[in-house]
Order: sequence, then C-alpha cells, then structure tokens
Amino acid sequence: MSDQSHRIAGGLIDRSETLEFTFNGTPMHGYLGDTLASALLANGQKLVGRSFKYHRPRGIFSAGPEEPNALVQLRSGAQQEPNTRATVAELFDGLTATSQNHLGSLEFDFMSITDLLAPFLSTGFYYKTFMWPAAFWEKIYEPIIRSSAGLGRLSMEADPDTYDKGFLHCDLLIIGAGPSGLAAALAAGASGLRVILADEDFSVGGRLNSESYKIDGVSGSSWAKQALAELKSMDKVRVMNRTTVYGAYDHGIFGALERRTDHQKTSFGKPRQVLWRIYSKRSLLTTGATERPIAFGNNDRPGIMLAGAVRSYVNRFGVTPGKQVTIFTNNDDGWRTATDLVAKGVKVTAVIDARNKSASTPITGAEIILGDQIIDTAGRKGLRSITLKSGKVIQTDCLAVSGGWNPNVHLTCHQRGKPEWNSDILAFVPGGILPTGMKIAGAANGKLGLSTGMVDAVAVAQKIVQDLGQRPASYDIPTSEDEPQSGGAIWHVKDSKKRAWVDLQNDVTVKDIQLSYQEGFRSVEHLKRYTTLGMATDQGKTSNIAGLAIMAECSGKTIPETGTTIFRPPYTPIPIGALAGRARGKHFRPYRLTPSHKWAEENGATFVETGNWLRAQWFARPGEKGWRDSVDREVAMTRASVGICDVTTLGKIDIQGKDVAEFLNHVYTNAFLKLPIGKVRYGLMLREDGVAYDDGTTARLAENHFVMTTTTANAVLVFRRLEFARQCLWPGLDIHMISTTDAWAQFAVAGPNSRKLLSKIVDAPFDMSNEAFPFMACSELTICSGTPARLFRISFSGEIAYEIAVPAKYGNSMMGALMTAGQEFDAVPYGTEALGVMRIEKGHAAGNELNGQTTALNLGLGGFISKKKDCIGKTLSQRPELNRDDAIRLVGFKPVKSDDLLLAGSHFITRDEEANMANDQGWMSSVAYSPTLGHSIGLGFIKKGHQRMGEIIRVVNPSRGVEIEAEIVSPHFYDPEGGLQRG
Amino acid sequence: MGEFTLKAEPFLDRYERDFGSVSIKELHQQAIVSFAIPNGCETKAEKTLNKVFGVACPKVGNSVLSKDGSARLMRLGADQLFCLLSNQQDTHSAHLVMNQKFGQDIYTTDQSDVWVCVEVSGTQTRKALERICAIDLHPDHFTIASIARTTMEHLGTIILRSAENTYVLLSASSSANSFLHALETSVENTM
Amino acid sequence: MIINHPLLGPRDASEFVYLGDESLINRPDPNSEDADDRFYEYGYLRDNPAGDLRELWYHEQGDRSWLVVTRNTLTHEITSVEMARDVAKAKGRDK
Repeated sequence: MSDQSHRIAGGLIDRSETLEFTFNGTPMHGYLGDTLASALLANGQKLVGRSFKYHRPRGIFSAGPEEPNALVQLRSGAQQEPNTRATVAELFDGLTATSQNHLGSLEFDFMSITDLLAPFLSTGFYYKTFMWPAAFWEKIYEPIIRSSAGLGRLSMEADPDTYDKGFLHCDLLIIGAGPSGLAAALAAGASGLRVILADEDFSVGGRLNSESYKIDGVSGSSWAKQALAELKSMDKVRVMNRTTVYGAYDHGIFGALERRTDHQKTSFGKPRQVLWRIYSKRSLLTTGATERPIAFGNNDRPGIMLAGAVRSYVNRFGVTPGKQVTIFTNNDDGWRTATDLVAKGVKVTAVIDARNKSASTPITGAEIILGDQIIDTAGRKGLRSITLKSGKVIQTDCLAVSGGWNPNVHLTCHQRGKPEWNSDILAFVPGGILPTGMKIAGAANGKLGLSTGMVDAVAVAQKIVQDLGQRPASYDIPTSEDEPQSGGAIWHVKDSKKRAWVDLQNDVTVKDIQLSYQEGFRSVEHLKRYTTLGMATDQGKTSNIAGLAIMAECSGKTIPETGTTIFRPPYTPIPIGALAGRARGKHFRPYRLTPSHKWAEENGATFVETGNWLRAQWFARPGEKGWRDSVDREVAMTRASVGICDVTTLGKIDIQGKDVAEFLNHVYTNAFLKLPIGKVRYGLMLREDGVAYDDGTTARLAENHFVMTTTTANAVLVFRRLEFARQCLWPGLDIHMISTTDAWAQFAVAGPNSRKLLSKIVDAPFDMSNEAFPFMACSELTICSGTPARLFRISFSGEIAYEIAVPAKYGNSMMGALMTAGQEFDAVPYGTEALGVMRIEKGHAAGNELNGQTTALNLGLGGFISKKKDCIGKTLSQRPELNRDDAIRLVGFKPVKSDDLLLAGSHFITRDEEANMANDQGWMSSVAYSPTLGHSIGLGFIKKGHQRMGEIIRVVNPSRGVEIEAEIVSPHFYDPEGGLQRG
Repeated sequence: MGEFTLKAEPFLDRYERDFGSVSIKELHQQAIVSFAIPNGCETKAEKTLNKVFGVACPKVGNSVLSKDGSARLMRLGADQLFCLLSNQQDTHSAHLVMNQKFGQDIYTTDQSDVWVCVEVSGTQTRKALERICAIDLHPDHFTIASIARTTMEHLGTIILRSAENTYVLLSASSSANSFLHALETSVENTM
Repeated sequence: MIINHPLLGPRDASEFVYLGDESLINRPDPNSEDADDRFYEYGYLRDNPAGDLRELWYHEQGDRSWLVVTRNTLTHEITSVEMARDVAKAKGRDK
C-alpha cells in the first residue's frame, strides 16, 4: 500500500494479505506477519506513547518482549487491554490501538508539564514531598497521585473473553525456538524424547528471522522453517508458538501462557489464552540474549532504538524505522546493522563506534566516526539530529544503538540461581543453583556466536538424552558461522550533561541512580525500590545492567560485587484472567446438590450455600410475607405432626474391621467398646489439645461394621483425622474406612406422627413399634417394596424422630414418596432454618458452639469424657486453665421483655457493671425466634453459667447499639426431660 | 403395602452427547463395590479374589477384567479395590452378592451411588482431558487398563483408560453437574 | 512440587494435604507419669530446621495414604517418601 511510507522490499511478511487497523482513530494498513509496532513504523508513526513520570514523547525502542516504551491499549469496550507491548502484539484485520498516559491528545499532552518540573521531581520525590502535612494526604495528595498514576485504563467492565488451563508432560522442555532451541529439539526429537519446544513469538526461529545469517547454505529463516516442518513430523515433539514460559517452579514444573486468539479479531467462543502447567523431566533454556542500550543525553526520543531491533524491522518486517539511519555502538555487532541496512538499500548516514575500532566491512555512503560518543539529541516528537562529544552534529531520523547483549538468564533465577559475571562478554550468565533438571545452551549461556551456540545446544541436548537413559541418535549439526562479537564496557556517556535515561519505562536517569547512591541506598534491591529502576511491565530487561554498572561506578566496586536484583516469575506480564482460568462466576467452584434437590426446586425451596452444598433453607407457601413466616410454620407443623428434611449433607463414613470398636474408643471421648449391634450412640471428638472438634452419631450395623456420621462442615476433615489415627497412631488395628456421604440420601422424619408415616413405607415384617425399635435403635431394612434402606432412630429436634436413608439415586423419588405418605398427617418439608430453630429450642450445640475454642466442659458435655479410657485430646483437656471454676458454660437465654429480640454475637455484662472488655462475661453464640415458645431464645457461653440460672444479665451489642436484658435459663428450652423423643 | 415404589434417577439423567471427535456418556447402570483387605490377610484376600473373578489381583494403579469379562477390578491402594460391574439393573444388590462370596475375607461397601460414572471417548479425548487432568495420559505412560485417583477441577476423580481412546471417569455424585460442566467445557474448548 | 508416592509414582503436590512434623506420629503414652508434659510437647513444640525435615503429607486426592516426606525446607528437594503406616509400625506403634 502506498500509505506505508517506511515499507521497503523483502521481509517475512505476506504482502498478499493487507490488514486494516487504526491507531488513535487513524486508519492504517499493514500485512500479515506484522506486529503492531512494525506496522506503525511502516506507516511512519514514530510517536506512540508518553512516558510514565515526565510524559516525555516516546517511540518504539525494541522489537520484542523487552519493550519499555511502546505500551498501548488494544481493542475497545469490555475487551480493552491496557499496557500491551506493541512489539509483540500481532497485527490482525480490524485491530484498534490507542496510545496511553496522556491528557489531551498524544501530540499535545497537558501532563507533559511534569517534564518541565523535572528538577523538582527527582528520585524519591513522592517519599520526600507527600510526607507533610499529614492531613493533606487523603484529601489532596492521594487524589492527585491516583489520577496521574498508572499507564493505561481498564474498561471497568467484566472481561468477556474466556480462559483455560491445562497440564502437559514431557521428557524435555526446550524454552526458546531460536537456532539453539531448534537444533536441540531436532537432536532430542531424533533420539525419541518427548519434547515440548515453546516460544513466545508467533513464528519460530528467534533471531534467525531478524538476521541475515546463513545456515546450511540457506537463509536462517528458511532453515528455521525447514526445522519446524521436521519437528512437526515427529509425533513425540510438540511445538508451541505464541507460548511464553514465564516461570520455573519446583521439581521441573514450569508455567506457560499460550496466546491462542490474541492474533484474531474474535475468539469464536474459544479460550483466548491457556495457562499451562508443564511437568518436565529435564528442561533446556535456549532463550537467547537481549540487546542493551547506552545511556546518553536525551536518549529517549522517538527514533532512537536498539540496533538489533532496527535489523528486525528491516530484515523480518520489510520496514525501515528511518530514512537516514545512524548507528552508535560499542561493539562489533552494531556494525552488522549498518551492513544489513545498506544491503536493503536504506541510507546509513553515519556509524559511530565509541571504541577506536572499525569493522572490516566498508559501509557504503556512511561516515565512519571512531572514538566518539553522543552527548545530546534533538527533535521533540521524533529524532532530528544528534550531537557528538566532538561537537559534530549529524542530521538523522533514526539512531540504532548497541551496547552489547545480555543472556536471558531470567528463568535460571526463579529458584535459587544467582547469575555470574562473564568478563569476556561483559554480561551476566546463568549461575548458582539452577531449577531442578535445567540446563542452558546457546546465547542464554553466554555462547553468543551462532555456530558456537548451536554446537553447544546440540551437545547439551544429547547429554540430556543420555541422562534420561536413552541413546542419542546421530544428528548433523547444521553449518553456520560465528559473527564477530567483541565489545567495550561503555554503559553511559559520562560527558553528557543532559538527562540520560537508563530505565525508559520508569523514567529513571543516570543522575537518579547517582543521587540514590548519595542518599545511602547501597544495596541494588534498595536502589530498585527507591528509584523504581527495573520495575513494571518490562522488569528492566534493557535497563538493569546499566543501572548496576552506574551503581558500581558510584561505589568503586565491580559489577559482580554490586550484584543483581532477584528475578521472579513471571518473565512477562500474565493477565489475571489467565490465572483465574475457568474459575469465575457460577463456576468459581464446584457445587454439590442434595438428592432431593429437584423436588425442592419444584416445591418452592429457597437455597442456601453451606460449604459446597446447596441446601433448602425454607419452603415458602403462597401468602407468606417473609422467611420467618415459612420457618415458623415449618417448626410448628413439625412439632404438631410431622416434618421431613434432607440431611444427606452430614458426613457418613463406613467403617469395617475387627478393631473398629477399639478405634472408636480412641477417637471419641465416650465409650464405644460395648455399643450393641442395632444401636446408635452420640459421640464427641476432641482435638489433641483438648478443644472440642466435632460430634455426630455412630451406628453399629454388625459386629465389624459401623457407620459414623459427622457434621456437614467437618466431613472431609474428620475423615482425614481418622485416617491419620488409623495409619499413624494405631497402625496395628484392623480398620477400613470409606466415605459413603454421597451413597445415601438421608431424611430426617420428625414429629409425633413420624412413626405412623414411616410405618406406611417400610416393608413387612419390619416392626416400627417403640418396643421393637426404640430411641437410638438402627437397622438395615427394605422399604417401598424392596428398596434397600437404613433406619436410625435419632432426634435433633427433640420429637420422636428418625433418619431414613436410601441409595442416593432414589433420593428424589423418596422425598416425593414421604410427602405422599405424609399427606394424611399434613406432613411438611422443612429446611435448614427450621432445623436450626428446633436444635436451638432443644439446646443442641452446633457449629456456632463447636467453634474451635470451646471444650467439652464449656459445652456442658464434660460428662462425655470417659474416665475409664484414654482418647484423643483427653490428657490436655484436663489442663487446669481449661477447668477453672469460672470457666464459661453453655446455657440458654430468654429476653426479660418477651418481644425483645436477642442478637448473636452480643456479649454478656452483669447488671451493675460497665460494658467493657474487662467486665465481659461471655457471648451469645446462637439465637432464634422460637415459634413454640413465642419469643426469642438464645444459646451462649457465660462464666459459671450452670450455677446462675434465673439471673438477669445485660446482653450488649455495641456495634449495633443494642442492649437488652435476658434471663439465664437451661439451654434445653423444649422438653428438657427428653421424654418426647423416646415416646 | 405396595402403595409406594421408588424410582432410581441417574445423576446426569442418562446424559449422552456426541461432540464430533469426542463423546460423553453417563454410564448409569454401573454397580460399584469397594473391597477392603483386612490387615495381614493380603494373601488370603488375593486368593479369594482369584477364585471369584478368575484373574490375579491387579497392582496399585492398574485394573483387570474378570475372566468372564463382567467385572473390572481396580486397585486403588494397598488395601483397597473397586469392582465395576456394567449394565446392572439393580446396582445395589451387587455388594450383597460379593459379601456372600467373600465372608470376612474381604470387607465390601456399596459405592454405586457415591459416584457418577462417565465415559469419554473419541480421538480427541486426550486433548480435552489435558485441560483438567494433571496425570500424564500419554498412551506409552497411561497404558490401557491403567487407573489413577486424582483431582479434576477441584473434584476428586478416578480415571480408567478402558480402551485406546476411551476413558471411564468416576467423580462424586453430588457434584455430578459441576463435573459434567468441567468435562463439557474441556471438550468444547479443544474442538 | 512433585511427591514421588511409593505406590503411585510422581504426583503433583496439589493432590496432597500438609500436616507437619513427622513427630506427630509419636503420640505419648497417656498412662506415663509425665503424660501432661509429654502431651504438651507433642502438641505444641516443633523443630523448624533450615534443611531436611521429615514431614507428614496426606494423599487426600489419591489413595488416602499418609506419607512421611523428607523435604529440604530451603530447596524443596525431596529425598525420600515413605508410607507413614510403615514408619509408625517401625516405631512400634502397632504393638
């Protein structure tokens, strides 16, 4: 397209596929294979954003993930994504991109006034300025900082895209599909290893796509294509492009983010990104190297970029970032930019080498300047000229800077690795303790030459093959040459008087680092936090080493003595959406349904989440004005006739073995050794520290067969503790446990007519009479013409009551059958609220009372700790402090004025004392309105409660501003003698 | 008597769906019985199993079909096995039959309704399961008849590879809907 | 992390639940004279070494076995994994 002013011939783009996109609303064109950055450059767009602190105009600086400047917002509406690096954003048809961090237009940013205020905004400015006066913080400073902070903006809408996660396994994970990674994958794949080769780029090849290298006589990019085809033909090799391995974790586990639809306009309902957990036996890091800049005055203008990036744009994308390019280098590699540009017909104005050294190749038409350095530049929204130390001014619209290459050691440090300084290449290479199973090869290992790197990678890969017990197949290493690499240690131009940027993303200058040192920040970790050097999205990929070098200059130490900051995952930013994966909305976590859920839904139930369970809370009937109406009715009808409640959620554990009774004696406080067959017993469990843990019932179905129930909340935990007791404490006992919580649909059938109701459904000749099946009896039987069932005569409500269990598949049908059979008794279904009201009326302790702080004594269950045997928690439950005279006791409370409502969480204060913590007597744990008694009732813990019956106490709730008087009464409000349930 | 009868309702309402290269199907007539081997009675129990099923007891992490092909024995742990019986009209009497054969040599528990049983099959099955299963399902590694007890989307799951591209998954029946959703999502996401 | 289960092979640590020091197996004799002190130590005192620690892990999403895992608390290197039941028996707890 003619509007692409900077598009030149060649490159790996597909010119038959023109893509339309917009930048800040301006329509532009690019080609398939472009990044947003290369397409912007092709369209002559140099200014792409404003810097973080000073709002300086900034352009594209790199051609990869290290980009500090070109952060843009992609897409619009709910899909708007801020802080995206234009250099790795793949161009697609219809892409909309906008610049960020400016007030007004990109060209005229009102916030750029901060640049003029720069002398006042030195490092640590915020810490120093916003200290005083303290009152200004909330009203003035914070709003100002908040509105000017940050880069892009969130849409404030829910993310409409979906994300997923997954698990992969391999013998060898190769990270980085450049020349070393590809060669290693070919060698390992040929030897039969299961290989995953991951690369963050959309096309594999790494620098091969950006350089003019030859491998085996063909261009590097062609060789990469062939290699890819060969790898794809190996069925044990998986090549994953668009996949960033972002973290190295314990034992060979890696995190990787695969971008599946980011390069498309729409995801077509598929996950946009997949977060992989990769289990590898071995890993090979072939992540190459990242070029570093040199800091000099005003080195941040649009048009100043890394020399290697200029080669990428010219060679890979067919784009020239400038029409008159100048090169500033301190090493041989920088010169290759000049030769590549000339080969593509781009005008090279000058090559400046800070060393007194020239490369052998002549650069046609370029002025060669040796031993000089750049001290300043000009051009507000795009580079116009550079000024050298010698005073020479060169007109240029693009400056390619090369300060040498840093191996990408990031992932080697995610465990305990500490990079080591290599003085040959003047860079850190991997060192210290590497992640389990990791090896490094090629440029990432400091072997910067192409041929050297590939030879190294193949050798390491074959060593890994051997290590895994396989025979390395022969593999002919492709022939290539090493490019010249020698360089000089120049980090910043010392003669430069103007501000010289080290960290472009955080606007940290050479002077900031020097000032921070002067102010006493001597550790690199402190330097980082004080100046913000190396923070944010790029994590200092182009700035860290220069920062360290300047720090070293200040202290007179060497760079290795100065040390590096710790690299932590992720290598590049990972969207929160990807970390959440599928776990959002309704599917945030799994939910469990009771067997009669369908029946409950059809019969007007309101559901409540209890743990993962959805349980019926109450069943509203037409005309009822609120939940209390429904709950009061359910309680009244149950106590008057019969009620039915699905209690499947209680944990059920099937326990069999020769020694179960003895085992139960160990884990329960009370005796179980002599529990007769056909009987159920209440049991209390303690923690080993003597605090009450859980309670429930255990039934003995046969000599060696027991069924234990636990509370709903503790079902999993009790099972775990029992397994611990079984395997670790009493491993000699013959006990076998399996959870049957989901096996049985269990219903409480309670009320004076419960026996009559159940008599209608049990199969003959089962005898339901009180004599044949008394309180605390249990039996296996059949019901409804042959369905297997279990019947327990236990009561939580205080009425004559049963729990009847049928296989879960029959549960829904069973609820219907019970209701039909109960029609003549006006049977009522009841939910968890009515269940709770009846248990409070009966004075049973539940979760509110078994809260992990109360003992059997506190609960009034002291008598349940058998004196004749040991059990878990017994010894420590006898500690004096837990058995003080004034220990709290569970008692009942009733309001003095019968229409007062008690509040759970209230504290008890005596009538004549002030309501403060020192006079605290205890607290109210459970309250309910008792429809049976016609007033509010409560259970609570109060000092010496059992000796204070009839005392009037203040029930104080300062947070709600409520205080009422209540009388201490027995916790057993309903049928305290317990005659009803035995009838 | 006889006034009331109960109807068994499968946990996923006999769900069956073909997605193309993957299908998901509820196996709703599966009887599952757990066996526990009494302490110190391994040899005796293995002998009994051999007598009843006509095959040697599998190793932990493996399963084996009985000689007549009607039952699959899955060894889940040192002292625990599951026995799967397909196409049972009455899934709840299976354990009673076993109980009679075993006496006190092996403890049995009916597990039929603890689990929802789902068969996932088709050429793309492994690719779909990759999204929720942390176990290495590579065919060289997870050979036919292999089993593993693990977790998928926070739900405890037993996975059995019953044929080349067929897997049988057991997960808690109370969370059957969430489990099915996890499976469907995995299949849809990888289609 | 990956725990190499003695019966099942390598499994992701997410299948396991952590409890703590292996010494929790050594539940004191409740009938001993100094039972109070010994239970106090058992319940509340733990070593916290920077290095190898023998610790209890429960394979909740697996075969429900308790394991004794020797793990270096600095590097997370796991040098041995044993069935806790065997460890408990070796300590004479089945007597």
